[in-house]
Amino acid sequence: MRNKVIIIGCGRLGANIAALSSEKGQNVLVIDRNLNAFDRLPESFAGYKINGDATDLSLLEEAYIRTAKEVIIATGDDNINLFLSHVASVIYEVPSIYVRIDDPELGALLNGLKIKAIYPFELSINKFNLMKGEEL
Amino acid sequence: MKIVIANGKHEADFVINMFKGQTKNLVVINSDKNFADYIVKNSKVPVFIGEPYKRFVLDDSGARDADIFIALGDRDTDNYAACMLAKKEFNIKKCICTVSNPKNVDIFKKLGIDSVISSTYLLANSIKSASSLEDVLQTLSIEEDKIVLTEIIVGDLYRISNQKIMDIDFPQNATISCIYREPHVIIPNGSTIIKPKDKLVIISTPSEQEKIIKFIQTKK
Repeated sequence: MRNKVIIIGCGRLGANIAALSSEKGQNVLVIDRNLNAFDRLPESFAGYKINGDATDLSLLEEAYIRTAKEVIIATGDDNINLFLSHVASVIYEVPSIYVRIDDPELGALLNGLKIKAIYPFELSINKFNLMKGEEL
Repeated sequence: MKIVIANGKHEADFVINMFKGQTKNLVVINSDKNFADYIVKNSKVPVFIGEPYKRFVLDDSGARDADIFIALGDRDTDNYAACMLAKKEFNIKKCICTVSNPKNVDIFKKLGIDSVISSTYLLANSIKSASSLEDVLQTLSIEEDKIVLTEIIVGDLYRISNQKIMDIDFPQNATISCIYREPHVIIPNGSTIIKPKDKLVIISTPSEQEKIIKFIQTKK
């Protein structure tokens, strides 16, 4: 049964999504290669923490990626995020994949795959335009 | 032929020098300014400074429509992104990607990269074939490991020596494609007789290879 939520990268975004999902009672696993990154998780976090490099597929398998219903990829490196989103989609066929990509020009490489991308740059510029509009 | 060489240090240096005489259309991209200076000075080849996984770098360096793209960087995922971008967005026909983690060879291929090279993987395979059995000189995999060529020298005591090929009950999915008998190369047919010291070149599927070697080396 696919019932797990896997979060790769426990930065500000990853940690917050992990905390929210855990609060909602989801079965959450967070992966980060830096042990200190888990300090960002709140005391109340009830999921699993896995310390290691997610680009090594044996680690993803240990993290039960085959039983994941959702994967959120938010490491600080675009190329790692891109690769992991392709792996989750093509190799493990995870039904729901979210990925953070800083360089919007890499987004073209997600076309044709069922991957939802979050572009912080575009969000900021949209917000800026919106705020500008309100001022005028 | 247009060839793009992206990142890498001494490997890049070697590949650049190998190709610079053969093709006029060599595009070299490297993110390390010092290394770029070294290449320009020593190999007299222009170097575009930048990261090959950025769209504007591939655009401005003139990599579009190249025949071959070779990614030689240190980080596997950077090479992966560069190859994917080259293939999907820049109409580059064939991408070759080097990886440091040998486990990535099969994964990168599965995700669509034409050719993935890992020195550890190659090393492991050559140890495997070197240690396989005496008299088996070498094996070579072609077409993504779907076909293997095996070279075997026929020993005096082998059951098949001094026999006609048609009389040998050869395993399926394998043929003797050629026989090297000093100084001739023989393309065999059914009536060819296998002699001791012949070097057989056998073409087979990988799954059959071990069976074939065992079969040929059966003693009388």
